[in-house]
This record gives sequence, structure tokens and C-alpha cells, in this order.
Amino acid sequence: MAPERGFQGETLLDVRDLKVHFPTPDGVVKAVDGLSFTVHRGETFGIVGESGSGKSVTNLTALGLVNRKAAQIEGEVLFKGRDLLKLTPGELRHVRGKELAMIFQDPFASLHPMYRVGDQLIEAVKVHSNVSKKQAEERVLELLGAVGIPRPRERFRDYPHQFSGGMRQRAMIAMALTHNPDILIADEPTTALDVTVQAQILELIDHVKREFDIGVILITHDLGVIADVSQTVMVMYAGRAMELAPKDELFRKPLHPYTWGLLDSMPRIAQKGTRLLPIEGAPPSLINVPPGCAFHPRCPHRFQPCDRERPAFADRGGGHPEACHLTIEDKRRLWAERDARRLGVAV
Amino acid sequence: MTEIVEPSGAARAGRRSGEEPLVSVRNLTKYFPITRGIIFQREIGRVHAVEDVSFDIFRGETLGLVGESGSGKSTTARLITKLIESTSGTVSFDGQEITKHSRRQMRPIRREMQMIFQDPYSSLNPRQTIGQIVGAPYVIQKTERNVKRRVQELMDRVGLNPEHYNRYSHEFSGGQRQRIGIARALALNPQLIVCDEPVSALDVSIQAQILNLLRSLQDDFNLTYLFISHDLGVVRYVSDRIAVMYLGRIVEIGSASDLYDNPRQPYTAALLSAVPKGYGENGAGARERVVLKGDVPSPVDPPPGCVFHPRCPQARLVSGREDEVPEKCRTEMPPLGEVDSGRFAACWYPVQPGQPLDLAAKA
Ligand SMILES: Nc1ncnc2c1ncn2[C@@H]1O[C@H](COP(=O)(O)OP(=O)(O)O)[C@@H](O)[C@H]1O
Ligand SMILES: Nc1ncnc2c1ncn2[C@@H]1O[C@H](COP(=O)(O)OP(=O)(O)O)[C@@H](O)[C@H]1O
Ligand SMILES: [Mg+2]
Ligand SMILES: [Mg+2]
Repeated sequence: MAPERGFQGETLLDVRDLKVHFPTPDGVVKAVDGLSFTVHRGETFGIVGESGSGKSVTNLTALGLVNRKAAQIEGEVLFKGRDLLKLTPGELRHVRGKELAMIFQDPFASLHPMYRVGDQLIEAVKVHSNVSKKQAEERVLELLGAVGIPRPRERFRDYPHQFSGGMRQRAMIAMALTHNPDILIADEPTTALDVTVQAQILELIDHVKREFDIGVILITHDLGVIADVSQTVMVMYAGRAMELAPKDELFRKPLHPYTWGLLDSMPRIAQKGTRLLPIEGAPPSLINVPPGCAFHPRCPHRFQPCDRERPAFADRGGGHPEACHLTIEDKRRLWAERDARRLGVAV
Repeated sequence: MTEIVEPSGAARAGRRSGEEPLVSVRNLTKYFPITRGIIFQREIGRVHAVEDVSFDIFRGETLGLVGESGSGKSTTARLITKLIESTSGTVSFDGQEITKHSRRQMRPIRREMQMIFQDPYSSLNPRQTIGQIVGAPYVIQKTERNVKRRVQELMDRVGLNPEHYNRYSHEFSGGQRQRIGIARALALNPQLIVCDEPVSALDVSIQAQILNLLRSLQDDFNLTYLFISHDLGVVRYVSDRIAVMYLGRIVEIGSASDLYDNPRQPYTAALLSAVPKGYGENGAGARERVVLKGDVPSPVDPPPGCVFHPRCPQARLVSGREDEVPEKCRTEMPPLGEVDSGRFAACWYPVQPGQPLDLAAKA
């Protein structure tokens, strides 16, 4: 069951116990292994985790972009009450790009280099709605303006390579908004961009969320980006959720040792004299996920049951669900001790 | 031997006078020609990759070089290590000017300056074992008798299992490959290591391991680093002093904590304000975000006057108008002037501590 959280607003997406396993010659890749979360209208739902933790597969599955013949998919992906996993490819195509829109890290990959940006956007408008070329063009110009592209009438005739990276991402956001979607899925939308351009795009995504009153799923490996724009955060590791909480809660009182490791690995711009406390080792191969808690081999706090029993993803009294065998009291104490170590003070 | 120019104030930026720098860069400039035509190549323009850059790196310190992509960081690194020739300007290493050195003259200096790159994948030969990769410098320079023992010591020091001596580099993860690259750089006991985005391709948990490793190696081997990154958090963590680049120029330089707490050049201020904030950050983090308008101009045709003036929020604050900047900003590139003791910024109207940078916010 999807965990309870405080976010108000209509539930748009309700993912229940999702599993996506890829059989390969080397073994089964458990890319997503029992994941539950909900996304609401007006919410930016951040998914954070290191590369290979299953963030993209989760969302590609929701979008119906994972080949059902190549993967074993279980669970439910309820979008406004309908299970997307049960739709026919035709029905899915109708939902995708219209009610569920997406943007990716590399906008170049989604724009054809040989066609003008404007024409590609017009095509996107016409795919799902029966309008004249003229009406489509008006809609595109309106959208280009809405995403902050200056002089849209001129830029309309440009080819993708004449756009900067930031402009291309703006154009992709415009394309995603064509049909007034309910959810925008943004997979590492700013990873390829410089920090000043990243700031522009994050601001735009936030603006668009309010203006169009939608829900946003923001996928990133960057905790700073997550802290900046999301209301709710899910931390993933090895295809599983480790912790899910309102953003303030997650950053101030994180409950999972993996989250602690991530936070203590991130160099901040405004910290003097603090030490990074890295996580030992490297993430596992998803063909060979460690038994019990997937994080236990790298966890400095592992104890008795961790290498045998997989901890349930549940609220243990901390007010937000997490998957770890430690008690809440222990977690609170350990987190406080880490504070001291980070600052280099003896405890 | 060429006479060494006494380092100018800006190059020294915050370091005591009387100290001898290990590396001294003066007025370094690199233009890449843009040519057209296959047989008769005509130069139709040039990329101003590095323009009039001066700085010193002192023994045992880390100088951080930060800036967005295309600002000239890697070109600066390649000029210092003489992987490419400069258009003008000089580089001195350990008291010797090396700008005009021949290959042969460079040979003894090469071992003193090593590089670590971003991409541990493409910089390691997949057909070589770790032993061959890390041991190669000994073989080339014919220095070590017991290569295997020495390589295994290094492997152990950088956190690799010495028993993996005969494994191939492709059998290792990204973080471990970066450790191999570091071991190779350390082999000849260099004085300087130029690190060009050494952790940019790594996941955050692995990145932290490598940053801590680089820090502890610096202490053990008395290393001097030029550390290049586009990640401002990473640069702060490792650097004693930091230089900020924009369109081929150094626009601000000073001690790491001062510069971050109190940026004086408007680009530095905007750049720092754009970094997504982690949690519980204050200092630089407390500043209102300044979202810069537009894109970085092309280095083929850099703006006249101050290179930052087309996007500069401070110039607009000074003029009081969104569409106007002071004449000085439009016509003359400001020199790196001392705006505070030990801090140098290229700006006609340096940002005052605590001053807002947003014209709208001020109005
Ligand atoms: N079609 C596929 N076949 C086999 N394995 C896959 C496939 N797609 C993704 N994977 C694997 O699933 C895991 C999770 O990938 P992904 O969701 O892309 O991670 P993230 O987005 O968090 O970096 C990875 O180990 C990846 O190699
Ligand atoms: N070999 C080259 N030929 C032409 N232009 C180059 C070459 N190397 C770099 N440049 C250009 O010089 C500028 C600075 O590049 P670089 O030093 O790589 O920047 P950074 O490392 O800060 O991203 C960029 O505009 C880049 O395109
Ligand atoms: Mg991904
Ligand atoms: Mg570079």
C-alpha cells in the first residue's frame, strides 16, 4: 500500500508494489523491486539516487516505454484511477504525451536535427488534437512564450543546433505542455546544463507547475536540485525505496543510513571545515542484489538481521516511511553523532 | 635561464610575499583558429579560449579553478602542462620558464607535473593490466628496479587491492579506475598534479571517497594541486584559493572561504547563488538567487568592454535600468584589481558585502 503522507491535493499517480525485472543472459536484473509512492497535483515529487538505482526504469515503466516482452512487470501504476500497466499500446499512446508528459536529460535526443524547432512543435500539437496548422502555430507560439523563449516568432524558424542547451530544454518543456498534461516527468532535466542555466530551468519547471497546476516527478542524482524544488522526496537504492518524506523532514531528520551517507558525501558551497564522510564500497549490481537489506554491505550500522531479512518499507514511528531495521531512537542518536563527526568534533 | 618576473599582486592573491610559487602563469593566452577550406585553409575567426590569464600556485596548496563549460579551464590546464602551445604569455615551473622548452628540455619536468582526467574510461588503455598502466612511467623513465613492488605499494595507498595487479582496467568500476589514474599520476613522485574534473563522472558517494583520498595524498606526498571543476561545492572542499573563470578570463581570485562568503565580482556572486542549496547552509547560501538572463556569449566573438557586461546584474543596478549599463563596462575590460586584502576582482563596480544583486528586488 502506498504510504500516508501529508501532501494535500488530488492523487494523480499511485504506484503500488511495482517490480520491473529484466531477464538477461547473465541473470535477472531487478531494476525496480517493490516500489510504492503517490504523486499529487501541485506537488513536485523528487526521486533521488545514484546511477543505476532504478529511477529511470520506474518512470519509463509508468510511461509504458519499457518493452513488456523484455521485462517482467508486476504491481500497479494507477494514473487518475486507471492502471497504466493494463492499457493496450494504443490506449497508452493516447495517455502518454498528452496527460503524462516527459522531458529528458538530453533534449537533443528528442528533437530531430533536420527539422525546424517550430515545425516539430506543431507536429506535437497536431498528434493529439484536431486543429488547423494555423491554430497549431498559434498554440506553439503561445507555449514558446510561456517557457521564456525570447522572440518566439523568430526562434520558431531555428533548427535545434541554433538553440543553446538551455533553450532546447525550454523547447522540450513547451512540447511537453502542448496538451495540458496532469503530470510532467522530468528525468535529470538539468544534468547536462551549467549551473546558471540549471537555475533557470528549475525555476521554469516550478513556474510551470504552478501555472498549469500539474504534478511534477523530478528525477535526479543531485541532492541539491532535490532540496531546491521538491516538496516530497523518495530516496532510491538498488531498485528499492529507502526512505520517503516531505523535503524538510528528509533533510533535517533523515532516518536511513543510506540517506545519511548521501548527505554526508555531498560537498556544500557554504560549509567550512566540515569533513565528507563517504559511503564505503560501491553500489551493487542489480543482478546480484545483496540479501536482506540491499544496503547492508556498505552500512556502518548493520547488525543481526540486516544480511538476512529485508526490512519492510514502513513507518517505524519517525513520521515517515523507511526501510531499515534500526529503531527510531537508535537512528536519532546515530544521526546526532554523525553531526559531530562531520564537524570534526570529538564525541 | 630567463629571469623570473616578480609575481604580481593578483597572481599571488592572498599569499604572503617572499614565498616562491611552484607554478607561475603570466598573461597566458590561447586562441584556436577557425579555418575554412580543405586545401587552402583560411582563418575565418578564432576561439578566445584563454585570454590574459595570470596566477601563481604555491607549494603544498590547492588552487581551484572553477567556471562553467567552455570558460577555458581545460585549455589552461593543457597550457600549463605543455600539452599545447600558448599563443602568448609565459608559464614557469619551479623557477624555470618552460614556455619555449623543447620536448627534450621538458622531459625532466614532465615527471614533476602529472594530470588526472575526468574520464577514467577513455584515459586508460583497456588492453593493459593495472600493473602495466601504473608501472609504465617507471619503464619509460627507467627509474625503478622493482616495479611490481612499487606499483603494489601505490595500489595499496590509493585504496586498490594489490592482488589485482594483473587485472585489466575494464574490470573495474568508475571509482576504482579513477584510483588507477591517481596511482599512475603518483608513480614518479611529482610535485604538481593537475586534476581536470577528476570526480565529475562519479556518483556522489564515490566522489566523496576520491576527494578524501586526494586530500590525504596531498598531505602524505606534499603535493601541489591545480584542481579544476565546474562543481562549486567540490572546488570549495579541496581548495585553499580559488580562481573563477568566465569566457577565458579570470574574473575573481582569492582565498576559498572569503571568496565564497563574499563574492565581489558579479559573475562569481551569480554563479554561487545559482548553486542549488543543500540544507542548513548559510553564508553564500543565504544570498537571494540571481538568475542570469541569456546564455554565455560565443568565445569566437567575445563582447567588447567587460566580457560579463551583457549579462551583468550589477551593471544594471548601477545604471538603474534593465536596458542600460555604464559606459565603462561597455568599453573597457576591468583589470583584476585588489578589492580587499588578498582578493582580486575584475569589475568596475565590485559587489558590496550583503548588497542585493537584483534590480527588481531593489526597486
Ligand atoms: N532494458 C533493460 N535490460 C536490462 N537491464 C536494464 C534495462 N534497462 C535498464 N536496465 C538496468 O536497470 C538498472 C536501473 O537502471 P536505471 O533505471 O536507468 O537507473 P537510474 O536511472 O537510477 O540511473 C540498471 O542496472 C540498468 O542497467
Ligand atoms: N582544440 C580546440 N580547437 C578549437 N576550439 C577549442 C579547442 N579546445 C577548446 N576549444 C574551445 O575553447 C573554449 C574553452 O574550452 P575549454 O578549455 O575546454 O573549457 P572548459 O574546460 O572550461 O569547459 C571553448 O569554447 C572550446 O570550444
Ligand atoms: Mg536515469
Ligand atoms: Mg574542461
